Amino acid sequence: MSALIGVSPLLLLVAAGLSIMVIDAFAEDRTELALVTAASLFVAAAVAGVLMLGDDITTAPELVTRYLAVDRMGLFFDVVICAGAGLSTLIAGAYLREHGFERGEFYVLVIFTAFGAMVLARAVDLLSIFLGLETMSLGAYALVAYRRTSARAVEAAVKYFLLGSFAAAILLFGSALLYGATGHTDLLGIQQSVAAGAADPVLTIFALMMLVVGLAFKVGAVPFHMWVPDAYEGAATPVTTFMSVVVKAAAVAVLIRVLIGAFGDQSTMGLYTGWTPVIIILAVISMVYGNLAAIAQSSVKRMLAYSSIAHAGYILVGIAAASEVGTFAVSAVLYYMAAYTFSNVLAFGSLILMGSKGKEAVSYADLAGAGRRHPMAAFPFVIGVLSLLGLPPTAGFFGKYYVFSAAVQAGGPMVWIAVLGVLASVIGAYYYLKVIVYLFMKEPEEDAPIAVPMQSWYVVVALIVAGYYVMKLGIFPSQYLDWAVAAAAGVIG
Amino acid sequence: MGIGTYLALASVLFGIGAAGFLVRRNMLIQLMSIELMLNSVNVVLLAFNRAHPGNHDGQLFAFFVIAVAAAELVIGLSILIAYYRIKKTLDTDDATLLKY
Repeated sequence: MSALIGVSPLLLLVAAGLSIMVIDAFAEDRTELALVTAASLFVAAAVAGVLMLGDDITTAPELVTRYLAVDRMGLFFDVVICAGAGLSTLIAGAYLREHGFERGEFYVLVIFTAFGAMVLARAVDLLSIFLGLETMSLGAYALVAYRRTSARAVEAAVKYFLLGSFAAAILLFGSALLYGATGHTDLLGIQQSVAAGAADPVLTIFALMMLVVGLAFKVGAVPFHMWVPDAYEGAATPVTTFMSVVVKAAAVAVLIRVLIGAFGDQSTMGLYTGWTPVIIILAVISMVYGNLAAIAQSSVKRMLAYSSIAHAGYILVGIAAASEVGTFAVSAVLYYMAAYTFSNVLAFGSLILMGSKGKEAVSYADLAGAGRRHPMAAFPFVIGVLSLLGLPPTAGFFGKYYVFSAAVQAGGPMVWIAVLGVLASVIGAYYYLKVIVYLFMKEPEEDAPIAVPMQSWYVVVALIVAGYYVMKLGIFPSQYLDWAVAAAAGVIG
Repeated sequence: MGIGTYLALASVLFGIGAAGFLVRRNMLIQLMSIELMLNSVNVVLLAFNRAHPGNHDGQLFAFFVIAVAAAELVIGLSILIAYYRIKKTLDTDDATLLKY
């Protein structure tokens, strides 16, 4: 058994998911399920964290390591994914009960979707990339459609499903071509085949671009972002929280593994050749479009969806920089992912806290004056949006700082991309600060329904944990950056 | 027949699927188009496995594609049924509830 210790967070989640299905069949009170689910996810995160900081993790049998990497980056993403999923589950436990549509399958879907995301984040074979991606996506489609009597939720699920399957088919075709070009499905074999010049270069680059299209879709980068605003708005808010942290983290991880791990060869993939220019273009239009479109929104939920597109752009800047500065840029992306996860949970969690039965808070108008009536409920919201904006001393500041300084170190055109990124973040200030303006400086319209915050310890605990880490990553970043560097060191080939 | 013939067949199938997905307005037809694209991937995998006879990775991959395509269809059809129950239509042009 000790041979499987490196993948124990995955095994733990499978056991938890199966047990919760059984518990659900006999449980009378479903609120316990939220606690059990969140506890299993936090335990998995803790186990992954202990393993990540330990000395010896690379003792898995070849049967496992052929398909799933057992390395510090995999464990790092286990921590991020499980923590994000666990906090979303706590919030969901309160939300689903408050709004009266709690059913046991929700928690099972959360666990198995998180499992798929962790598989995807560790995948080092085209086959496990495909299986991880589909395990995660199928769960996410079902979670979006979870409120199956709501026209908005089902429409969001239809759009997400059709576009998601289309992108998965493109990714799969790219995988098949890559297999044909190199004769290997494992990323290591592909890397060696490409380095030896044995692969057909035209077919390889064509296949790689199809892979990038499929993965950029999951990351939510423009122009493959069409599903993001609709799916994020239509889904129940805890599901949106879950998707925005878990699905994005896994897609970023596999993008790093494919682009840096398999195609990171300096001689063929520099700033002007290979995949780097493509990623730079995706990053630029995501940052600009995401920020500009977010300004136009009247719904806070939809604004946060567009902001997550902009954040995908910042992350892609870091990935593009990694073709030049390797480890530092990858560690910056990992740090950014951790910061983004906690900030996003904080912002979405506060939005959920602002609503109660019959009256969810979704638009700016719903938030008018809420900060003055309920300052304690508005406080985490302020920290969350400031961190997403990237203001010190929050986690978001150091996330952006590391990513942009990696871009500056990469030199050449990347310096200008970093400047553009900073300018795009300044645009972001408009709509993030608008939340604070509405919370504290506006009064609700005459006879408009007034949002009353819900009373729930689950949400309070989730917000305190997320807020603690947002502040801690922002005030003492060096320790976490060291961990990210240790995690990134393993993937650079 | 060389491997080029199989690749041409697969590309045509993939193209028909992609075009069907983009052009048709009925969600059920779009779902079928996606299935066609997945099957064209299987043709590519099997053809390339003949070109790389050292192992059976391509055939193995194709089995997984078939299994996952079935799972995807289950989720997809259930979402479409839930959608149809509410909207009484599967036309994509009518899916206009979510926009700004």
